[in-house]
Amino acid sequence: MTLRLLRLGLAAALLAPAGAAAAASKLVVAMLPKSKGNAYHMSCVAGATRAARDLGVEFLFDGPTDSNAAKQNEIVENWITLGVDVIAVAAENREGISTALRKARRQGIQVITYDADAAPDARSFFVNQATPEGIAQALMDDAARLLGGEGEFAIILATLTAANQREWQKHIEARWKARYPKMQLVATRPCDDLKDKAQSEATALMSAHPNLRLIMAICSPAVPGAAEAVKQAGKTGRVKVIGLGLPSENRRYVKEGVTDTVILWKTEDLGYLTVEAAVALARGTLKPGAQSFTSRALGTLQIQGDNILLGKPFAFHRDNIDQFDF
Amino acid sequence: MKPASRDWPALLLRHEMLLLYVLIAEWLFFYFAGTTVNRRGVIIGFGTLDRQFDILRHSCEIGLLALALTPVILTSGIDLSVGSILGFCAIFLGLLWRDCGLPLPLASACTLAIGVAAGGLNAALIAALRLPPLIVTLGTYSLFRGLAEAITRGAITYTDFPAGFLFLGQERWLGLPAQAWIFALVAIGVWLLVHRTTFGRSFRVIGYSPEGARFAGLPVDRRLALVYLLAGGVAALAAIIYTARLGQAKADAGLGYELFAITAVVLGGTSIFGGTGTVHGTLLGVAAIAVLKNGLACLPVVMRLNAAEELAGLLTGALLLLALAAGVLPRILPVRRIFRRPADATPPPPTPP
Amino acid sequence: MRRYSRELSVAGAFALLLAVLAVFAPGFYQPQPLLSLATREAPTLVVACGMALVMISRQIDISVGSQFSVCGVCAGLLAAMHWPLAALLPAAVGLGALLGAVNGLLIAGLGLPSIVVTLAMMVTLRQGLNLVRQGKFVDLPENFQWFGLPQATGQWLLVGGALVCVLGLAAALRHLAAGRFVYAIGSDAEAARLAGLRPRLGTFGALVGLGALTGLAAVMNVVQSPQVQPLAGSGLELKVIAAAVVGGVAISGGRGNLWGVLAGVLLLATISPALTHLRVEAHWERAIQGAIVILAILADGAHRRWGKR
Repeated sequence: MTLRLLRLGLAAALLAPAGAAAAASKLVVAMLPKSKGNAYHMSCVAGATRAARDLGVEFLFDGPTDSNAAKQNEIVENWITLGVDVIAVAAENREGISTALRKARRQGIQVITYDADAAPDARSFFVNQATPEGIAQALMDDAARLLGGEGEFAIILATLTAANQREWQKHIEARWKARYPKMQLVATRPCDDLKDKAQSEATALMSAHPNLRLIMAICSPAVPGAAEAVKQAGKTGRVKVIGLGLPSENRRYVKEGVTDTVILWKTEDLGYLTVEAAVALARGTLKPGAQSFTSRALGTLQIQGDNILLGKPFAFHRDNIDQFDF
Repeated sequence: MKPASRDWPALLLRHEMLLLYVLIAEWLFFYFAGTTVNRRGVIIGFGTLDRQFDILRHSCEIGLLALALTPVILTSGIDLSVGSILGFCAIFLGLLWRDCGLPLPLASACTLAIGVAAGGLNAALIAALRLPPLIVTLGTYSLFRGLAEAITRGAITYTDFPAGFLFLGQERWLGLPAQAWIFALVAIGVWLLVHRTTFGRSFRVIGYSPEGARFAGLPVDRRLALVYLLAGGVAALAAIIYTARLGQAKADAGLGYELFAITAVVLGGTSIFGGTGTVHGTLLGVAAIAVLKNGLACLPVVMRLNAAEELAGLLTGALLLLALAAGVLPRILPVRRIFRRPADATPPPPTPP
Repeated sequence: MRRYSRELSVAGAFALLLAVLAVFAPGFYQPQPLLSLATREAPTLVVACGMALVMISRQIDISVGSQFSVCGVCAGLLAAMHWPLAALLPAAVGLGALLGAVNGLLIAGLGLPSIVVTLAMMVTLRQGLNLVRQGKFVDLPENFQWFGLPQATGQWLLVGGALVCVLGLAAALRHLAAGRFVYAIGSDAEAARLAGLRPRLGTFGALVGLGALTGLAAVMNVVQSPQVQPLAGSGLELKVIAAAVVGGVAISGGRGNLWGVLAGVLLLATISPALTHLRVEAHWERAIQGAIVILAILADGAHRRWGKR
């Protein structure tokens, strides 16, 4: 009885905003990051929120909080029945999400992807922070630069199943084999997106491979984890650490010289650009076949095929890391 | 003392009925609070047929797992590995189809067999060796997931299934989502098995007292083995539907599903200790959770907070605790009788919902 | 000797693993990495001891991972507010005990089944933390790491602390009446009640104890690095239950001791670095861990069936 009354009361309380929403005529942009518990994705969302405010559109975001592979599909399908205008997705499962995205397009909803792409026929554009090859090459070239072109290195990634991690790994290995034959990739270990596990893995890697000279951490919690392991092992300087991560999580280690380079892109800009492109797509100002896109905050950007390129990956070093606070 | 069949107050206050009220109340709440009109004048949100079908489609796999778990939990066992068996079978479906070149119907049939075999490992350890189900299935939870990861090296994804197969998970047949028909068939089958066959009735007996069942001459070990085999097979069926729905098979399929399935079963009134419970209760539990998760995402308040996922998890946890506590209240309330004056011969009022 | 046969078999398995490493990957035996490994696993050991207590009393608590995360984040936030360790440690332990008490009230007080209650708690705590924290790391002040001591001292302190915990709890289980109560409750709660014990109080106590130990372990984890990840502790429940089971603690209650748990923790913690040293690919790890748990359960079953003859 009480439960029922409570629920009816809540219904009455919340009906008012529902009525108000009915009268709204703003464009609705919905953003789906890969997960909500990840500071990288949340900073993309922060940029996106800002863009939505600047452009005067309604902004929704939601994302999986756990590793449920099907969650992204369900969220997209929710939005289809909510009748949003544009959906922007960072795809966790490339093929899986494409199914839902194609359905959205059939219903007249515009779709773009960012950070991690879906199938080309499932979206109009892909806002690419940089191509996977670009990111992988930046990492591999930096590793080679630090090691002088020879030596052993290892990779720590998030999970063995994450699509974009595997994509980067593929391109890193391609670049390594093509250009740096004197270097050797000795191991690839997952850390389940946990900083502490990355630390344990890095410790084991260093003791199992005494000649290891560089650890490449391609998932953001793994970069501080690996750095802490190197520091605790007393091998600062002898084992280099580079990776894809947030400046805020790595600032300490970069300043102490444990981590040499943190490569990323300006995640807030990525989020901002994504929403801008989404709105332009929905309003019809961005059409397929366009060669360039002009962003309020970022200037004119190149479009390669259907990839809107944010630019090249950005490398954070000791001398510039203080300029960023994400 | 009224005969049970005419004891309307008690009938209306049974656990499943209370859950039905909660479900109806939930549904109505989300209908009124979560349905609006968008800027193009189209009705959107919870109250659309599309949305209801989506709820149906999204809950089929978990629903199947919950149905598979109901007989298991009725026998006072548990199977934490159903989600991992789902992932394991999904991988094999992809492998048999793509790498071994089997046609999909045959590959699906083999997948069902593999699911039953996986359940067979649980059955062997639990029924034959009499090891505790919680720990055995905790081990197989890791083992099957680990094998799925090992076989695919984590990276291999099976995609590009033919449209005929994807129809199963993505299209509608005769008005309802295709997988809903399969789910309905399995639901009816399991209901008949548990409630109408002597075979199925023995599950509750075994759950209530395994020793008593043995002394009564029931082949307890064989029945136990069968429930775990059945659970494995149904998990394999869920794997096939999952793959068809997403269009891909990967080692992380079904990760986390077992917890929702167990929640649905317990919410539906089946005691985790075994011995009591119903299949329709489980179905109501699945519906309650699915409506909760989907409905929350439609509420403007929740959308503004961008917290649909977290709230769904929080509320599901709270709902589960409430349901458990409500189930226990009848035992606690009679304590009040001690404080009533002996002259009061009137029976205590029925327990409030 | 016979009494400890189960624990000895685990220790034997561990010794076997160590022997394999000695032959095929002698590089495993370096002091610094081993110390780091031990320090990393010290919190797990502490929680595993608490879990063993709860399992011996015939309950289970799968919310420890989420409790660990919550206590860790709170400890980190308090540290960031410059609370001294003397205040921070009891606060974290107290928070853990409080969470354990909530479980205890529901399980011992209302008689609800422990697996479902702790399942609900696990989801609720995890999602609540996600809602509040959104995955953002907590930055700790400069001198907080290793209690402000040099690294080696801090590491030995943590490892030593974990071992003292094990010793203390093992002694308490063996020699204190309260310890024997836990076994009694787990063996046969009704008989214990008829004998004048109070099973519900004992269950409540075990769950509060587990919560407190989780809070302690969370602090032990937080002092090991300059940041706290809210996701830390995810999957901990699986690790500690597996360690307890492998170590001979029975889910059916009444059996097991902390030496087995120690052996179980050591064995399972060594698997991952062993695979790295033996150059085994990473995707085998989970399957191997699952296989070990199954083997341990089989050993239990075999022991019970044939060991008594």
